[in-house]
Amino acid sequence: MRVTDRLHYESAAKNGAAARSRLQEAAQEAASGIRVSHPGDDPHAAAQIVRHAANAQRAGDIARQLGVATDELQAADGALEGVGNVLSRARELTVQMANGNYTAVDRANAAKEVQGLFQEALGLMNTKAGHRYLFGGFQDQAPPYDATGSYVGDTGVRQVEVAPGKLVDASIRSDVALKGVGGGTDVFATLTALNTALAANDVAGVQNALTGLDAGIQQVASARSQAGSSMSAFDVATYALQALKTEALGAQAHLQEADAIEANTRLAQATQALDAALTASARTFGLTLLDKL
Amino acid sequence: MALFSILSNAASSLSAHRAASATHSHNLENVNTPGYARQRVNLAATTPAERWGNDFLGRGVSAQSITQARDPFIESQLPKALSAQARSSSHANALEGITGLDPAGGAGLTEALQSFYAGARALAQAPSDPGSRAAFVANAKDAALAFNRAQQSIDGARDGLDSKLQADAARATQLARSLADLNGQVRQELAAGSSPNDLLDARQKVQDELVQLTGGSVVPSADGTVSIVLQGGGALVSGDRAASMGTIADPTNGGHLALTLTTGSQPTVTMPSSALGGSMGGTLDARDGTLLKAEQALDTAAYDWATTVNTQHRAGYGLDGGTGRDLFTVGATSAGAASALVVDPAMVADPRLVGAAASAGGVPGDASNLQALIGTESRALASSGTSVFDTIANAIANFGAEVQGARTAATRDGAVADQLTTLRESVSGVSIDEELVALTQAQRGYEAVMKVITTADEMFDTLLKLR
Repeated sequence: MRVTDRLHYESAAKNGAAARSRLQEAAQEAASGIRVSHPGDDPHAAAQIVRHAANAQRAGDIARQLGVATDELQAADGALEGVGNVLSRARELTVQMANGNYTAVDRANAAKEVQGLFQEALGLMNTKAGHRYLFGGFQDQAPPYDATGSYVGDTGVRQVEVAPGKLVDASIRSDVALKGVGGGTDVFATLTALNTALAANDVAGVQNALTGLDAGIQQVASARSQAGSSMSAFDVATYALQALKTEALGAQAHLQEADAIEANTRLAQATQALDAALTASARTFGLTLLDKL
Repeated sequence: MALFSILSNAASSLSAHRAASATHSHNLENVNTPGYARQRVNLAATTPAERWGNDFLGRGVSAQSITQARDPFIESQLPKALSAQARSSSHANALEGITGLDPAGGAGLTEALQSFYAGARALAQAPSDPGSRAAFVANAKDAALAFNRAQQSIDGARDGLDSKLQADAARATQLARSLADLNGQVRQELAAGSSPNDLLDARQKVQDELVQLTGGSVVPSADGTVSIVLQGGGALVSGDRAASMGTIADPTNGGHLALTLTTGSQPTVTMPSSALGGSMGGTLDARDGTLLKAEQALDTAAYDWATTVNTQHRAGYGLDGGTGRDLFTVGATSAGAASALVVDPAMVADPRLVGAAASAGGVPGDASNLQALIGTESRALASSGTSVFDTIANAIANFGAEVQGARTAATRDGAVADQLTTLRESVSGVSIDEELVALTQAQRGYEAVMKVITTADEMFDTLLKLR
């Protein structure tokens, strides 16, 4: 091919520019650590990055809400534990006072203690976590139990997502656990009856309360075991979600981020290529008949 | 007699060599002139020769013609190659600047949608908390804004391409006029029997630029003029007459500009996009092809998603016990939905209206409807049949594939055009070495003829000194 001077200069300019543009790309990739920054860089990867990012974020969000639900359940569990202790103490007193050796005065004193236990249980069942009452079902902005121990909440059970679209119960129905809705014992009524029997020195009445207290202890224990199994299910779900998140983030990084070694190798190659292009151009520029004539 | 003819022949030969050295000097001087094709002096022995008995005495050398070195085969392929290269690179360049659909960052569309669902999840755990409600409404506003921003980033780019088309149309009109003028001059010179090499170079340069800009085809005529015919058949340049190109707002295309052609006193014609190739065609490909498609995909995604969320939200009950309310305000159709999407002003003013509960009785603690609303995250949208994230991921993938296609086409067409331009330069370009050799050759020829004159002069002298 006939080679003119302009071809020399143009090819020098073109090759130099191409090498410089490759160097810029390589430097950009090495410096930012990002391989796909524009959808055109890798359309399939760009779409997958969006999906993985959404999955990672979703798993993280669900896990975070599970954490919130777990905290509330722990608070509820703590309150129920307190109520369990109250009932155990009431049972102790009942067994004690059912004994004929005690006097009316002893029973009147015990009645006072039972009254205190009643208030303690009431306080525990009106526990508030954050901005809401834990045991009122959906009616979480007002105390669920009034001064007489009547339930003013509803039967709602809050749910929490353990996996996308999969919901499990995240609250305890205190109307079942404490008020015996659905065939159980009304714990507050039992305590009130015990109190009345003790105050009236009614030994038979005191003895009667024992059945109710036993049933109540059983109900509270079963509610606590429900809370415990929910919390352990949340734990399992949280681990799974965290694994999912890590996996999705890994997949995203794999698609989006540049391999540091590869990127730096490319950078070194591009630097050398530009150097070679410039050196070659400079050499050809010197060769002209003008200098020889 | 013979001695005189030696002198007169030498004089005309001298002028032939001078023409040769002048031409090589001209070539050297134009070594860097764009569009310049090197010229050659065609030397030949002067005829008729002088009869001398039965033989002929030569009469020296004369310059027959000065011609340009151009290869018609290469020249005929170049316009198409240049136009294709201009088209694909203009298309690719227009798409490079779009950041609204970047997988990370950009308009932050997917991030904002993720935050919307994160907000919904947080609110589902605390539906009676005013702070969580306000945060959720803020997340919804962000999601709407992200759609607005992504749409604006694309529509802004389309507006920018309108300005480019306007400038290109003005430049095409200017070039068409220059080409028509040069056509007139070339025709005149050719009719007078001369070869207007430098005019042809100037015309070639204008013609190349016009073809790159508009993608028109070059139609040479017998009178030496060239016409430029656009793909739709309209003549931009016909001999020494030029049409003018303009723009007009096209209401059927959202007010974006359409191109017009005005020939002489004839009524202005609005051209379809298909009439243009070259860089203007590439700009139209980007504006009304790839970018329009991306914009429509966003509109459809915004409309379908907001409608799906609204349908679910209407089933919910706010803290005030009210139901049947929309969360987002979106138009009646998908057209322009991405830019029109906003959170219902009543929700912004009072986040208590967010319909979290599934029944009036469930207020304030029930979040069942919100849980169902979170389900819209993976619910198939009406038009795409996939979830909102998949719909957006697909829109990004489609856009990316078009960008990649445009980049590949630009590289391929660039290589073809480069190859042909290199071949043209190889045939028509000036080589300093070659011209220096030729110039020295002409100089030597000139010196030799001078020697002839000196010798003839001495011969005269000798003759005159005879006594």
